[in-house]
Amino acid sequence: MEQFVVTTIRLSAPLIFAGLGGLFSVRAGIFHIGIEGLMLAGAFVTVGFGTATGSVWLGMAGAIAVNMLLSFVYWLLIDRFKADMIITGLGLTTLCVGGSAFLMNALFNKRGSMMSAVRLPQPVVGPQEGLLAFVSELSLLAWLLPIFVIIVWLILRRSRLGLQIAAVGEYPYAAEAAGVDISRTKLIAMLVTGLCCALAGAELSVGGLAAFSENMTNGRGFIALAAILFGSLEPIRTTLAGLFFGLANAVGINSQIYGGESNIPRQFILMIPFVATMVFVTLRGALSQRRISPGG
Amino acid sequence: MSPWITSGIRIVAPIALAFILGFVLFASAGYDVGEVISGLWQGALAAPGSAEQSLRWAIPLAVISFGIVITLRTGEFNIGAQGQILLGGFGAVSVALLLADWSPYLVIPLALMFGIVFGALWSAIAGVLKVWFNADEVINTLMLNFIAALLIQWVTTGPLKDDATRGETASTPRVDQTFRLSDGAGVSIELIAIVLIAAALAWIIIERSPFGLKSKLVGSSPRVAAWQGLQIKRIHITTYLLTGAFAGLAGALEVLGPSARLVTGATPTLGFTAIVVAIVGMLRVPGALLAALFFGGLQAAILFLPIVSRLPSSGLRIIEGLVALLITAQFVWLRRRRNRRQIMKDGEESLQ
Repeated sequence: MEQFVVTTIRLSAPLIFAGLGGLFSVRAGIFHIGIEGLMLAGAFVTVGFGTATGSVWLGMAGAIAVNMLLSFVYWLLIDRFKADMIITGLGLTTLCVGGSAFLMNALFNKRGSMMSAVRLPQPVVGPQEGLLAFVSELSLLAWLLPIFVIIVWLILRRSRLGLQIAAVGEYPYAAEAAGVDISRTKLIAMLVTGLCCALAGAELSVGGLAAFSENMTNGRGFIALAAILFGSLEPIRTTLAGLFFGLANAVGINSQIYGGESNIPRQFILMIPFVATMVFVTLRGALSQRRISPGG
Repeated sequence: MSPWITSGIRIVAPIALAFILGFVLFASAGYDVGEVISGLWQGALAAPGSAEQSLRWAIPLAVISFGIVITLRTGEFNIGAQGQILLGGFGAVSVALLLADWSPYLVIPLALMFGIVFGALWSAIAGVLKVWFNADEVINTLMLNFIAALLIQWVTTGPLKDDATRGETASTPRVDQTFRLSDGAGVSIELIAIVLIAAALAWIIIERSPFGLKSKLVGSSPRVAAWQGLQIKRIHITTYLLTGAFAGLAGALEVLGPSARLVTGATPTLGFTAIVVAIVGMLRVPGALLAALFFGGLQAAILFLPIVSRLPSSGLRIIEGLVALLITAQFVWLRRRRNRRQIMKDGEESLQ
């Protein structure tokens, strides 16, 4: 039970960081399919730069810098050079999958995976046993997650920038007429996405295990994207969707470990986030269609 | 400048840029670029058996990309080829395993047909949801890829499990030798004939059929298409079925060809590379065939390079990613040139 709670939080936290970060881009009208790649880059640079410098904070700073740079290039391509955002996003992800594996090999002479010399502190020491024992296994980033959610909510729902981002995504012409610089707003949104994906990657690689392995995100970025849509592009609902998807993932993994009790193959439990997202996207699509053309 | 040369440059320039950026990265990481280039050349063409390997990867890439050409021309964004390949392989392997003692003359066509149908139906899920419920096809095809991967993981570790395999390479038992269209090398007259038939069919569908014309109109100006009284929903559903059919065929060919069975983590990047192939091929069948040969060569080189040089295969993934990153970008100097041509054309028209 205690292990189950830890697993759920550890699986949810990267999804929530990446989901809330991606929310900035998606609300600005960018279907950011490169989140997967940015998370992976964040995980790798945190481990790589952290191991090289001996400081987890420098590692994370490096990851944020690299992700900002990648986000800037992505913005340049889709905004300035009018590239297709889906194909470019898939390319960004492939670049990060290849790049992280390549650099791990070239710089650290490791294939497949590498151990990290640093890890995030686990600031709270809980009781040795009992229901609350899990608290000592949570990283600093996991503890900061609630504050992070509140900050994102405040920015998106209560600040000028949040309003501009929503306007650019939903009514770009109105936003432009009102004097909002669309390109600049998109750039800011994408840079925030890059930053948050660096945190998501850091939590994934040095939050619990302290290791990096090739393609370790393994689709989590896409699940984060699904959480955004499942959460109707709202910060709180996206957070809840991230928790729910993390829970489904934890149940799937646990049914693998304690297999035999349930008859449902774990693959079907692991499918839940994907199926739920499809059902939800379909329902929402059907509802919005009805609103546009009543009776149609 | 003729439009052919301009569009040629638009395709070649980003690819060249991707290779240059990749080589700069390799050089700064301490690799011998000359060695890498010679390894690429050997892995794709020169070394014994490598041309065959290039062709082996060009075959599925070409077949999948035909379907993606159709989908992109209609203006839809079906990125679900990855899942459709797996379902196609599942359909084919099920037939081949269940009817193991039937005649190959019956089983092979049936297996191919089931592969095509499974792929088409898997793709049609996203199509139906899009057309009738207005559900975004990008997210749904993406989700369907993951669901397909988990489904195949379950199939290969459960109902169609081969006891000798497990984990990431868990797979079904091998299909009977008499059902196979090629040996493990993955190139045979039969396979090439099927690819050429598929290419001819795709070409006819796109360039010479009423559907091709209608779908192009739907893609370029949906409003005009609606005014013309075209049944847009039917055209969209047909597009999804065709896209999935080609990807499903590719999956079936893998199972009856080089792989001989369905493997859990099989060909994880094929569906994505095929999208790049379709775009590099300028959304035309002959172009897609040429692009498939090029990316087939790159795929063969990816598997070959680590053997001859110290460069890990991930190095070439970087180049593949860079190509996808750059291929749709409209670089300013080309746009300006095109504008100038447009301005001159407009000027001539206004003089007349």
